[in-house]
Amino acid sequence: MITELMRQEIDEILARYPAGRQRSGILPALYVIQHEFGYCPVEAQDELAEILGIAPAEVGAVVGFYNMLHEEPKGEYHIEVCTNVPCMLRGGNQCLHNFESTLGIHHGEKTEDGQFALDHMECLGSCVTAPMAIVTDQKTGQIRYFEDLDSAEDVEKAIEVLKAGKGFSSLARWTPEADPNNEGEADVPYRNGGMEPRYLMARLNEPDSHKIEPYEADGGYSTARRVLNEIEPADMVEQIKASGIRGRGGAGFPTGIKWGFLPPGVGPRYMVVNADESEPGTFKDRIVMEYDPHQLIEGIILSCHAIESEKAFIYIRGEYYFAYVRMQDALAEAEAKGYLGDNIFGSGKSLDIVLHRGAGAYECGEETAQLTSLEGYRGQPRLKPPFPAVEGLYAKPTIVNNVESICNVTHVMRHGVDWYKEYGTERSPGMRIFCLSGNVKRPGLYELPHATPLSELVNKYGGGPEDENHPIKAIVPGGLSMKLLTPDQFDTPLDYESVAEAGSLLGSAGVIAIDDRTSMVEVARRTLGFYRDESCGKCTPCREGTAWLEKILIRIEEGQGLGKDVELMEFIADNIAGKSFCPFGEASVWGLQSNLLKFRSEFTSQIESTNPENVGPVLPIRPDYRPNTHEASGLRDSTFAPAGGNIVLHDDLVPGDD
Amino acid sequence: MADNVTFTINEKEVSVPARTLLVDAARMAGVEIPVFCSHPKLDPVGCCRMCLVEVDGPRGTAMMASCTMPVGDGMVVRTDTEQVRTVQEANLAFILLNHPLDCPICDKGGECPLQDQTMRFGPGISQLIEPKRLAKKHYDISDTIVLDQERCVLCWRCIRYLEEWEDKPQLGLFERGNETIVDIQEGRPVDAKTGGNIIDLCPVGALTNRVSRFAYRPWEIERTPSICMHCSVGCNVRLDSRTHQLRRIVGRENMQVNDQWICDKGRFAHAWVNDENRLAAPLVRKNGKLTAVQWSEALAYIAAKLTDIKEKFGADSIGAIGSGKISNESNYALQRFMRGVIGTNNIDHRDGGDVAALPTGLPALTEVMKPQYGPDPQVDTVLLFGVDPSEELPVLDLHLKRAVLRGGAKLIIAHPRKVELTRYDGPYLAYQPGGEPALLGRLQQAVENSGTSENGSAIGAAAKLLTESERTLIIYGPMAARGKDGPAVRDALEGLAQAAGEGARLAYVGLDGNAQGCRDMGVLPDQLPGQFPLDDDEARSRLEKLWGCTLSTFAGYTYKQMLDSQEMKALFVNGANPADESPDWAASLDNLDLLVVTDLLSTETAQKADVVLPALGWSESDGTYTNLERRVQRAPKAVTNPKSRAAPDWMMLMHLAKQMGVEWSFSDARSVTAEIATAVPAYSGLSWEALGDQGSQWDADAAPAEAEQGSTRGASADGPDNSEYPLSLVTGTVLYDGGTLFGLTEEMHGIAHGAKVTLNPADAAAIGVDAGSKVSVHSEQGSLELEAAVDAQVQTGTAWIPESLPGAPVGALLNGSNTQQVKVERR
Repeated sequence: MITELMRQEIDEILARYPAGRQRSGILPALYVIQHEFGYCPVEAQDELAEILGIAPAEVGAVVGFYNMLHEEPKGEYHIEVCTNVPCMLRGGNQCLHNFESTLGIHHGEKTEDGQFALDHMECLGSCVTAPMAIVTDQKTGQIRYFEDLDSAEDVEKAIEVLKAGKGFSSLARWTPEADPNNEGEADVPYRNGGMEPRYLMARLNEPDSHKIEPYEADGGYSTARRVLNEIEPADMVEQIKASGIRGRGGAGFPTGIKWGFLPPGVGPRYMVVNADESEPGTFKDRIVMEYDPHQLIEGIILSCHAIESEKAFIYIRGEYYFAYVRMQDALAEAEAKGYLGDNIFGSGKSLDIVLHRGAGAYECGEETAQLTSLEGYRGQPRLKPPFPAVEGLYAKPTIVNNVESICNVTHVMRHGVDWYKEYGTERSPGMRIFCLSGNVKRPGLYELPHATPLSELVNKYGGGPEDENHPIKAIVPGGLSMKLLTPDQFDTPLDYESVAEAGSLLGSAGVIAIDDRTSMVEVARRTLGFYRDESCGKCTPCREGTAWLEKILIRIEEGQGLGKDVELMEFIADNIAGKSFCPFGEASVWGLQSNLLKFRSEFTSQIESTNPENVGPVLPIRPDYRPNTHEASGLRDSTFAPAGGNIVLHDDLVPGDD
Repeated sequence: MADNVTFTINEKEVSVPARTLLVDAARMAGVEIPVFCSHPKLDPVGCCRMCLVEVDGPRGTAMMASCTMPVGDGMVVRTDTEQVRTVQEANLAFILLNHPLDCPICDKGGECPLQDQTMRFGPGISQLIEPKRLAKKHYDISDTIVLDQERCVLCWRCIRYLEEWEDKPQLGLFERGNETIVDIQEGRPVDAKTGGNIIDLCPVGALTNRVSRFAYRPWEIERTPSICMHCSVGCNVRLDSRTHQLRRIVGRENMQVNDQWICDKGRFAHAWVNDENRLAAPLVRKNGKLTAVQWSEALAYIAAKLTDIKEKFGADSIGAIGSGKISNESNYALQRFMRGVIGTNNIDHRDGGDVAALPTGLPALTEVMKPQYGPDPQVDTVLLFGVDPSEELPVLDLHLKRAVLRGGAKLIIAHPRKVELTRYDGPYLAYQPGGEPALLGRLQQAVENSGTSENGSAIGAAAKLLTESERTLIIYGPMAARGKDGPAVRDALEGLAQAAGEGARLAYVGLDGNAQGCRDMGVLPDQLPGQFPLDDDEARSRLEKLWGCTLSTFAGYTYKQMLDSQEMKALFVNGANPADESPDWAASLDNLDLLVVTDLLSTETAQKADVVLPALGWSESDGTYTNLERRVQRAPKAVTNPKSRAAPDWMMLMHLAKQMGVEWSFSDARSVTAEIATAVPAYSGLSWEALGDQGSQWDADAAPAEAEQGSTRGASADGPDNSEYPLSLVTGTVLYDGGTLFGLTEEMHGIAHGAKVTLNPADAAAIGVDAGSKVSVHSEQGSLELEAAVDAQVQTGTAWIPESLPGAPVGALLNGSNTQQVKVERR
């Protein structure tokens, strides 16, 4: 089934990974199969297993795990509309309905001619331009973002562009506004701003900001050139420690201290750049990679110098196709210039960067799950210890850092530790890209020093509530997982310590504002739906508990809530938090816990008003499943059919007793 | 002990070895922590979260998974607090959320850890009023294993077993999040040979036994500790029976033998025990027809005939064939009857005197298991010569894989087929049947010159490994040492072991369940019980005194000689089927004056018999069996068929001896075992009590110094004439063959090795056949009609037809010989 041509492509992919680690290429290899057939047929999976030297079930298990790998054909264009909370707050559900009525199909279905398939999706990192959708072109495997689909007309326009075959005339984001003639034209980077001058986002709006020449003209790569030739790795680690950079992925662990955990004398060492940005409400890494990829590459060169690694991987979220292409081009440019490869900047240092596309799994943002995924398995977390710095990728010392953290490294090395510490607080130094979304006038990316008050971000930069008549009643300060802040806490300075003191966490700095038009029951239900779907399924509390909570919340929304449900939900949440295998499972209920605590009355009044009699639901009767033991297994054809077809059961008779 | 750590659990201070997992340490301290995913024989995964306990740490008390956390010195642990109880209740509520609770129709009900833990640690009430998740129920993931995805609690035990022990990840987690399920890849059933162990490992009723499905309720069965007799590993099993029927077989732990694993043949292939066609009464041929008679009539008939034949033609015209498939007691009684009552050494078994064996089997199975457990492994390199454990000794195969994967042991494989274990990339030395001595010659030479003579070849690589290894174990089997080349092969192997250095050892393993015991009991034409030569005065006088007779010192006929000879007048055949092996033999059996067959089921040989005696199987009679590492193990009587008149072999022979004027004083099987302990010095002290339920290995030093087993002859010089019959016939044992003990389990027919000849793709193409083509295979001796299969594991120039295929006896081509050239033609 796998043709000679596909085989060649697969072999080229596999060759990028270290010798003997070809299984790592399973996701990109499956993409090759999916582009060919529109899905991953079992037969092709089995052939791939043969190529990789693994069992067929191992390939099947991987295909089943990742959302972007399909087990049956989707349409020519596969449309996925984000309905996660940030989009939901700005009409994501209506957007999905608009697609449904325009295409005449329900989500989860395909148009009769097979041209369009429609699904709803989890957060796609485009909250600033919500509501939005991504479209996958089956023939090429390309993905394009269609954003700002505010009205039914916008959706119709998007469909027209696709029908006219112009949907992929560019890969940069599409908006109705930027494409007046339905030619599929691209839009410029979405809204970004903040302090003046900016550093991490200084170049986003420049023309050709993603190319290497303008980057170098802006002083790019000079820092790496200097550091690689002049600063010893150990000294650089000390500088990063002194700068106090804290991880931007969510946990906020100090980057330099993490680097210091590497055991001396054990190699090879790997750097894995976590570009699997998936926390709902977070969309900063995407825009950096799309519009300033060289900033990241220079950061990687610097970081790899410091940790003495010669091989780095960028694990980029599968949906971020445009960012993937931009990174790919930028890597090629850097390589052509000799900034990657051997003897970089004449320093004698070598570095090879492998760009690795994920395939749709929130859990792969967790560092150990990301390593497992990068090794070619289902993205499930591993036991810690050993920590990745000791035994990470391929059981070798590995540093996993977020994109923004690495970008910070570039600026610290360029401007110095003291400069960096001028911003923010003692323990939360530097500037931060805040992702503002939800019910504000000007959602966007805002680069501000740590400890900028939440109200300043929301009101000064975000323009305050989206609708003056509807005040903001809750804000999630650090991505959907984090606990809610209420209006009395809106002055909280946005640094790690202050937000923690307010009872939440700064997380990925995805700030989601929720105004009083949205029911907190709905917010909770949609949040739990996300975790039910994105739980990796490894541990019991997260896998079962999130689904249970969602079922209860759906029931409450449908008017069958019971008086004891709130307490039951608290019980369930308490027994997920702190009991799950990895931090992601734990974080799955933080939002709900704070929601139930702070907006309890919304839940109780919804239950009381819709189900005043407190009547429980009618339990469904399960279908008849009495086994027919006289049926053949049907698993294999002739060679697997049980002889005679019948299974003779021992009956309770003494032999010879007739 | 310096290696101990002390921790506090529930206010009690306990000292345990360092690196012990908390869950195990708690057990040592007498504290039970409930678990689902944790299993002492599988790597910890920490996914079920059932075992969370309170551990005091620097940042206060935290709930930690005790199955993944090693105990630290000074650790303070509590398992009895309100918080722990709440978490246990909540976690069980999570686990039960989507569990179908169909316990009344679940085979696991009554022995289900989920039931037990729900009773002990569960919340008592259910708060779930939402609809349960539906998934696939009672769906076959192999011919023998049924999966119920709704019952599954996703503990990964099955997945981990197949991955960590079988190294065949045929089960995996599919889908994600709340939809996660355990499944096989579509169209790829589990075919690992020990896959059935996942049924024992499953802590719920998700994986059940398709063969025993709905045949028992755990609280109604009688459980008898026993051993498996399908092969010579001698795995410990438990026989579950009810109403006189064997309902189920499960693995039983014996850390010296099988850990707790058994193979699928041992687990599932037991339908023959309760088969309705079992021989249940003695039969005597009357007017050409076998007719049921009373025992007294049958025995009187045999006694009269034997007396007559002995008088007319002498004792040496009478012979007996014992079997590696029957107990020590049966074999012992048979040879005592022949030697003591008839007065001849014409006693042998298949793979007996015709094979150049060694007396003591494997040093110990634990030495093969040891590399994974460490420290101080006794074996670092294993050379398998003419043995394919994957097909012949599946649990040894499991041990070897583990030794390679976890213990870093090296494998060298010499076999006519590129057998499954070659996947570990050890040197593979191919040879064609008959080519053993030549290969060994080259290998020994290479070892002696450190591989220079075979540089770059597999032989060179093997020689290098053997030279570097400090503890080599060379294992060979009957296939390599049968027939006239046998002694030369054995001597060459001994030479190789010597060349490989001091730490190298050589072991012969028989394949049948009691192959070793059969030799120990003296079912050999040239050896007395205890493997003493016939002219060993001490042994002879001991036995003469014990049996009250004078023993013949003339070596008897071997198995092959008895069947080839035209001078035999009477033959006892117990548990063998020579008629199936050779058309010539089948014909000569017809010419006997008396053929007495003792068996479980009617065989081709039994159909030619004058008298057929119904035997009891291993599960129906008390007996001892000796496995490939000389471990004597008991198989107690577990089931009785009240309608059958079958009797134990020793009892039949005792009555027969009496009819011929010799009184034996056996009162029961135990007294036979007791006599064996006297007759065989190595077995002295091995009473039933001493054997217990884990058996006992006899001391290899107690074996007599190696007897002269025929002279060393050079390899056969005359090469086969290849022009007309271009392919060399490769045979050997496969696990799922067509033998009656396997074939009666209908559920497994789908995985049986069909009536096929397997060819290398190149040969198949040259002959112009594809997989599935109908072909006929001819040798000088005869022909067979088979289906062709194509597989690269078969070398070019060879054709593989295993023994005992259903309806396709390879004996038709071999006709009693060991090597044969064949040609394959399309029909």
